[in-house]
Amino acid sequence: MRRLDLRGTLHRHRKDPRLTVGGLGLLLLLFTAGFYLVQRNRDLPSYLVTNRVLLFVLWYINVVLILAVLFVLLRNLFKLLIERRHRILGSTFKFKLVGTYVGLSLIPVLLLFAIATELLQGSVERWFNTPLKPVLSQGSTVAQALYDRIEGTDLREAGRALAELRRFDLQKAEERARLGKRLQELQRELGLDFLAVYEGTDFVQAVVDPRAGIESLPEPGHDFLEEILRRGQALRREERPAGRGRLLMAGIAAPRSSTAADAPAEPLVVVAGSLLAPALSDASEALIQRFQSFRQLEVQKDDLKASHLLIFLMVTLLILLASSWVGLYLARRVTVPIQALAEGTRRISSGDLAHRVVVDADDELGVLVRSFNQMTEELGSNKELLEHSNRELTATNARLAEERALLAAVLENVAAGVVSTDAAGRILTCNGAALKILRQREEEVIGRRVEEAWADPERGKLAALLAEGSIAVGSREVHLVLGGEWKTFDAKVTPMRGGGEGAGALLGRVLVIEDLTALIKAQQLAAWNEAARRIAHEIKNPLTPIRLGAERLLRKAEQGDADLPRAIADAVEIIVREVGTIQQMVDEFSRFARMPRPRPTAVDVGRLLDETLHLYRNLKPGVEVSGGVTGPLPEVQLDGEQIKRVLINLLDNAVEATDAPGRITVSAHADGADGADGAGQLEIQVKDTGRGIPPESKEKLFLPYFSTKGRGTGLGLAIVHRIVSDHHGSVRVEDNVPTGSVFTLELPLG
Amino acid sequence: MVLDSHHPMRATVPLLCLFFLFLLAEDAWAAAEISDFRVMVDGDRALISLKLEHAFNSRFWERVDSGLPTSILYRFQLEKDRKRWYDRQLKETTYEVVATYDAVERQYTVNCKLDGKLVESRTVHDHDQQALAGAMTRLEALPVFTLDRPPEPWRLLIKARAELGSKTVLSLVPVLITTEWVESRKFRLPAREP
Repeated sequence: MRRLDLRGTLHRHRKDPRLTVGGLGLLLLLFTAGFYLVQRNRDLPSYLVTNRVLLFVLWYINVVLILAVLFVLLRNLFKLLIERRHRILGSTFKFKLVGTYVGLSLIPVLLLFAIATELLQGSVERWFNTPLKPVLSQGSTVAQALYDRIEGTDLREAGRALAELRRFDLQKAEERARLGKRLQELQRELGLDFLAVYEGTDFVQAVVDPRAGIESLPEPGHDFLEEILRRGQALRREERPAGRGRLLMAGIAAPRSSTAADAPAEPLVVVAGSLLAPALSDASEALIQRFQSFRQLEVQKDDLKASHLLIFLMVTLLILLASSWVGLYLARRVTVPIQALAEGTRRISSGDLAHRVVVDADDELGVLVRSFNQMTEELGSNKELLEHSNRELTATNARLAEERALLAAVLENVAAGVVSTDAAGRILTCNGAALKILRQREEEVIGRRVEEAWADPERGKLAALLAEGSIAVGSREVHLVLGGEWKTFDAKVTPMRGGGEGAGALLGRVLVIEDLTALIKAQQLAAWNEAARRIAHEIKNPLTPIRLGAERLLRKAEQGDADLPRAIADAVEIIVREVGTIQQMVDEFSRFARMPRPRPTAVDVGRLLDETLHLYRNLKPGVEVSGGVTGPLPEVQLDGEQIKRVLINLLDNAVEATDAPGRITVSAHADGADGADGAGQLEIQVKDTGRGIPPESKEKLFLPYFSTKGRGTGLGLAIVHRIVSDHHGSVRVEDNVPTGSVFTLELPLG
Repeated sequence: MVLDSHHPMRATVPLLCLFFLFLLAEDAWAAAEISDFRVMVDGDRALISLKLEHAFNSRFWERVDSGLPTSILYRFQLEKDRKRWYDRQLKETTYEVVATYDAVERQYTVNCKLDGKLVESRTVHDHDQQALAGAMTRLEALPVFTLDRPPEPWRLLIKARAELGSKTVLSLVPVLITTEWVESRKFRLPAREP
């Protein structure tokens, strides 16, 4: 924790703008100091510039700077290498960017340093290779020669004076007085500006030439006199005060002359001097000093180059340090957000959608980071939504599974067979009832196409029914011979269509088959019972008049009634009429029994309607008969005669059931004729405003020999049902509003 | 690896070797050294005598004659005869001889400073360069240390080294020109008279 706190503190300090500003200020100060040093370099004396301490200080500063640059570069290089080795996201990009930045700053600066160093070295060498050196050297030699010449003359004249003056006995007062006079004479004779006599180092007498401008008596100095005594002769150049030239002195010593009585132990010293005029002495000294200055510079040439190079190196290193630092800082400004983004991407890809990139950036990268965080937030909310939806979907799936299980249980337990297929006709499900009805095993049908599963001709009828079942197919009676048994089924195909975006697309079909064999048998039995009862009733009706007629004839014959012939004639008439009735009934029955199979041809339904309606118009006063085709209706494949008979039967009933004023309407239209598979159905409705049909009669209405009229054969609607069934259609009856009935025929158009 | 006869490496490596040999040879040729290093104990004073040889090479003369103040700094260290380096040193003293040439006067002024204090100054005419060399390179009975009697009877020794200014290597790196350290014989302080 302590380490983390330290890191946090460092991070905060790193972010502190005062530190950044302070650092930049310090850098600026260093640059200013360097610049000032370079500028002052020109004004400083060479011995200061080449001072050993300065050189070493500069060198150590440079060493520190080199170490600092190396530290900065190597530290960052090391960090980058470690990041690359650990395959931290963004490290390669950071490596390239930092390399580019540092390279772009390092290479030009180092190139500039190399070129400038070469130029500086060349320039320094050229300074000392100029013709100035011989000029200065020769000028100095001339000046020194002048001094040497004057000093030589002075030394010679001092010797001459010494040779004469050593004869003086300086212990005597008169000799001393004479010495002074002689000194003045010698000074004038020898052309000296100064002439002095010493006993050892003790001053005796001296003279100066007042015209020479020597205002005070020169004092050669004790060390000079000692040197003369030690070496026998010596030279001394003394600068006169107040810039009054330079006095060149030559001293010579010799033991006292043997002629002198009581010669002292100290030797006699004579110092002769010549004053060099200020202009000449200044010029000479300037020549000497210039040459000396040049020599000093030459001696310090290496140190001078070193100091300039060190200062230049220091400035270069400062620039390098600054540029490296700035380069690394800029690289970090770019790479840190990108690295944070890369890390964020990794975290998010691993599922941590709560992660946010926290980078302090105001530029485009900041916009990118904010967009990234926004995207992450949206991803998080979307994920929550997805998870919520997933939970709901799971619950729905579970519910659906339950429902499916329930449905499967229901399907397994219903008596009707249920078969479902996909859009391609592959059987998906087939319940137990269907397998039992079709006498097949599950593996023979599940997953197979219907044509394959039901390849035999009998079951193929169901396959054909499914194939045409793109639209709902009403219940249809199908007769199959399965296992040698004749079976009648009620089959209904329902297409399954998608909802939502793919609304209307065919997903598959469901075939529901119901074994009607037993029911039909029962119905047929009931119908035959009814038919037998009706037939018996119908036959009994004509038999009664016949019997009564026969009994009347017998009675007339027994009585011998005169009207016997007339009675015979009446009885015969009655018998013939009733037999005719029976004959008609038998014919009807025979016709119903021998109903032919339909022969479809292209029929214009509108025309068929017109022809049929034409028969009934104005048939019954007060009952209006009208109708026709509504909407476009193509020609339909039908047996026109049989359909016409259906319409006639229905119209007969309608006309009979409708009292004046009444109305009968026959309409026909195509329903679903423009479907994807071109299939559809023809719907024909016969509406009347008659008495209507009681509910209890509707179930038996289409059975043979059932009639609500109390007369007729009761075969009309049975024939209608038979013809419509033979056309694979259906017929139903409903109540008309407000009164009457509606018979609806549905016939396939295909 | 097969090297072409004109391969630059063939020339570069020998040239580099020659360059470093040249640097070493220059230093070897110019190396000054201290000889005749002697220590005498006079009461509580240590007097040293030595000769510095090969100090006045052409470069040194050039510098002296240019008029720049040119110094030779003698550094003396009084040490105990101990094994470990951190337990040896007792005192350190410097003796600096600075010569400054006046081309107008044609004389050298030689100043001698003991621990930075001027102890002697004299002039030498440029006709007598041997005298200058002697003044700067020969020390006779120079009292450099006052010997305090240590609590233990250690043997003592004095080390000396001369610093003759600096030079630059590769026109950039300043290097101090020094002699090797020389050590005197080990000596004991004479017993104090009761």
